[in-house]
Amino acid sequence: MTHAHASTADLMRPPFPAEPGAGVYSNKLGMWVFLASDVMFFTALIGTYIILRFSTDLPWAQPGAVLNVPLTAFNTFLLICSSVSMVKAYAAIADGDRERLKFWVLMTILGGATFVGIQVYEYVKLVGHGFTPNGYREGSELATLAAAEPLKYGLQTAGIYGSTFFTMTGFHGFHVTCGVVCMTWVYFKALRGGYSQQDYRGVEVIGLYWHFVDLVWIILFTIVYLI
Amino acid sequence: METTARKHPNYVAIWVYLAVLTAIEVGVAFISHFPKPVLMLILVGLAIWKALLVALYFMHLKFERWRLRTVFIVPLPLAVILVLAAITEKLW
Amino acid sequence: MTSVAAVHTHDAPMSFWRKYVFSTDHKIIGIQFLFVSLFFLLVGGLLAMQIRWQLGFPGQPMPGGGILPETMASEGILLPEYYVQLVSMHGTFMVFFAIMPLLVGVYANFLIPLKLGAHDMAFPRINMASFWTAFLAGLIMLASLFVPEGAIRSGWTNYVPLAARPDYSGVTWGQILWCISIVVLGLSSVLGSLNYITTVINHRAPGMTWFRMPLSVWALFITAILGVLALPVLQGAAIMLLFDQTLGTHFFDPLEGGQALLWQHLFWFFGHPEVYILILPAMGMVSDMIANGSRKPIFGYHSMVFAIIAIGFLGWIVWGHHMFMSGMNPTLGSSFMISTLVIAVPSAIKTFNWMGTMWRGNLRFHVPMLNAVAFVAMFVIGGLSGVFMAATPVDMFIHDTYFIVAHIHYVLFGGSLFALFGAITFWYPKMFGRMMNQRWGKIHFWLTFVFYNLTFFPMHNLGMAGHMRRIYDPTQYEFLRPLQPLNEFISISAFALFAVQLIFAANFLLSLWKGEKAPQNPWEDNGLEWSLPSPAPHGNWERVPTVYRGPYEFSAPGTPGGRDYLPQYERLPTDREPAAALAPALGD
Repeated sequence: MTHAHASTADLMRPPFPAEPGAGVYSNKLGMWVFLASDVMFFTALIGTYIILRFSTDLPWAQPGAVLNVPLTAFNTFLLICSSVSMVKAYAAIADGDRERLKFWVLMTILGGATFVGIQVYEYVKLVGHGFTPNGYREGSELATLAAAEPLKYGLQTAGIYGSTFFTMTGFHGFHVTCGVVCMTWVYFKALRGGYSQQDYRGVEVIGLYWHFVDLVWIILFTIVYLI
Repeated sequence: METTARKHPNYVAIWVYLAVLTAIEVGVAFISHFPKPVLMLILVGLAIWKALLVALYFMHLKFERWRLRTVFIVPLPLAVILVLAAITEKLW
Repeated sequence: MTSVAAVHTHDAPMSFWRKYVFSTDHKIIGIQFLFVSLFFLLVGGLLAMQIRWQLGFPGQPMPGGGILPETMASEGILLPEYYVQLVSMHGTFMVFFAIMPLLVGVYANFLIPLKLGAHDMAFPRINMASFWTAFLAGLIMLASLFVPEGAIRSGWTNYVPLAARPDYSGVTWGQILWCISIVVLGLSSVLGSLNYITTVINHRAPGMTWFRMPLSVWALFITAILGVLALPVLQGAAIMLLFDQTLGTHFFDPLEGGQALLWQHLFWFFGHPEVYILILPAMGMVSDMIANGSRKPIFGYHSMVFAIIAIGFLGWIVWGHHMFMSGMNPTLGSSFMISTLVIAVPSAIKTFNWMGTMWRGNLRFHVPMLNAVAFVAMFVIGGLSGVFMAATPVDMFIHDTYFIVAHIHYVLFGGSLFALFGAITFWYPKMFGRMMNQRWGKIHFWLTFVFYNLTFFPMHNLGMAGHMRRIYDPTQYEFLRPLQPLNEFISISAFALFAVQLIFAANFLLSLWKGEKAPQNPWEDNGLEWSLPSPAPHGNWERVPTVYRGPYEFSAPGTPGGRDYLPQYERLPTDREPAAALAPALGD
């Protein structure tokens, strides 16, 4: 690490003594290790999608044919916004401003909850159209469309398309839900006067998780919705 | 410490950056007429760019020591190894 | 317990439940893991005995088989569909609920804070959650034996499409419970492992530099890294298998665009690091015990550390050697063969270092040392048969035969389990404050060693003769009938082997009450844990000790008092204080 970096780096670290070893306090190190393990979990799910999709020579559904891309693009934007509000909450408590912390955490909770809400709405719509984890439901609107234009709708690969789509986005949504629950806990702790400029470990650690979930969605949005 | 306000990166600028990149992604995917492999390369590149922004600024990896960055970097090659090995089945 | 009260006057008295059941003390959690996983070891052993009865005496009613319900045995004769459940669940219990928690759950929990000079784990409550989720997973797996249609029938590896389609395997609930149990167990392992990693990195005592850590802690640290990265892949795969069963997804269904081979890739991408999760901690603890029993510093400490790291890394790029016969890309197969053979190098470094440690040592053959030496010998046999199988052409011949059964039992029983018998005896005084009986320990060791080899060595011959791995009745084939006397011999040896383990169980349980009171440092060892009273109190140290040297200073010249050991925490006049006292005091 260079000296030029050190000043910024010290400013970015909470003002309580770091523990030996990693140079960061244990909660944060533990969260990073957990995130590393979560990378492997998503590797199993996203990797399966990549392997199944790019090992087959059969046509895959074109982007936008089945999924509602504009709505999801908005949802992506929403999740990015909630990531910004989370980092604003972190900056607020690092400056010792608990009121702004509460405001920004609340914004983040709202953003995350809306994201999950929109995703549930999208699922309901998709299943209504006939897109299910086992492919296009027989007799549904999508099945008729796909029979007419098998290339556009990837008729032959619909089964694994549905399987991978619902599993990946479903487990991402589960992660977002867990994040919202944890953040609600952070919010109530802040309401009761928790966290200070001297100790804001909880905010930073849950923030790391939240940004990671955002990061996964950025990847998922591109490779599932746009490619 | 003398001042209570500490130096933070400009998070709003990163936010605008991410929003613009997302708009470009959707635009490239639906309006442009690149051949499919080029399009995929561009889209994946943009996604990695966005993910890096989140990791470096929001997750503060830019300001951490290498020993902490390593924790997050270690699983990435393993993920690549798994996917690449399994996908070579197609070549056979 | 007066010494405990004297050391820890500030500890409020805790209720029985908080102290022994919902405890956050890493030592109690380790002991909880010990009892639970010994129970599952017994379950796995009982399943193995039934397998051996069927193979040795096919078609004959099993003694006591009458108590089994009609779905498992008819008039004491095991049914084929029950036999495949036995095979599958024996593997599942032994790998996931016996050996893995015995090594990682028990000894990572118990040893890491004690050997590093920490008051507890970095996250004591997450540690408690790790135990209780593992317990829940074990109960779910146990329950799957008793649901309609019984447990899984597709082997512990659960190859698809057999496992993914109830109409192929005839199992619905058993398969669902298996998947759920594995997901819960994965969560437990991740929670445990992130705790171990954080503790090793951040909670070392002053002076405990990386290269003063005992090899057991090094091995457990690398194991935790493997666990935290490998288990989530299995969780993901198990979730997809569960969805294939219940939601009708098509991940592993080739008819609908899925890939059957994908399951094997995911499973073994987890599975091979898992193999090292099952052997690395054993190697680490054996290193500690061999140095102690030889009264010499471990030979080539740094090369031992780098060998552990190398094995941990190579473990990620060899998984395809389980799949040579799966029809995967042969180019890929060749690269997996080469990377697998490379693993022999760090393994051989470790083996020669153990022998170098013993060479001209002042050997003390106490029970842990005997078991540790047996570990080395058996690991060499198991490791060499592993080299045979790493070569693709040889593997094609012996794949899915009893040769592979012999190999896995040489590394897991001859390796891990012998190391565990040693480790249990070695750290028993620090856990319970009493010694296990040495004479019965030695009797148990020798009988186990003999019957173990009589049981598993002939399996190599069976495999070379073509005896299939999961066959229900070997006498149905003409070419296997001449082998039946050998099968009977193996079965009788296996029953004897099981019976001998009762000596260990009795020694373990009786010593809890009747064992000789343990002194503070019964084995005259150097680790920090021996600076504590036996059993170690909650919170371990009032003030953590300072570390002045590495863990293997045996027979060092100039040791005061004519001793042949020099503990890590003992300050000699020539020792300098470490640069900074880094560790926080208790309660921080």
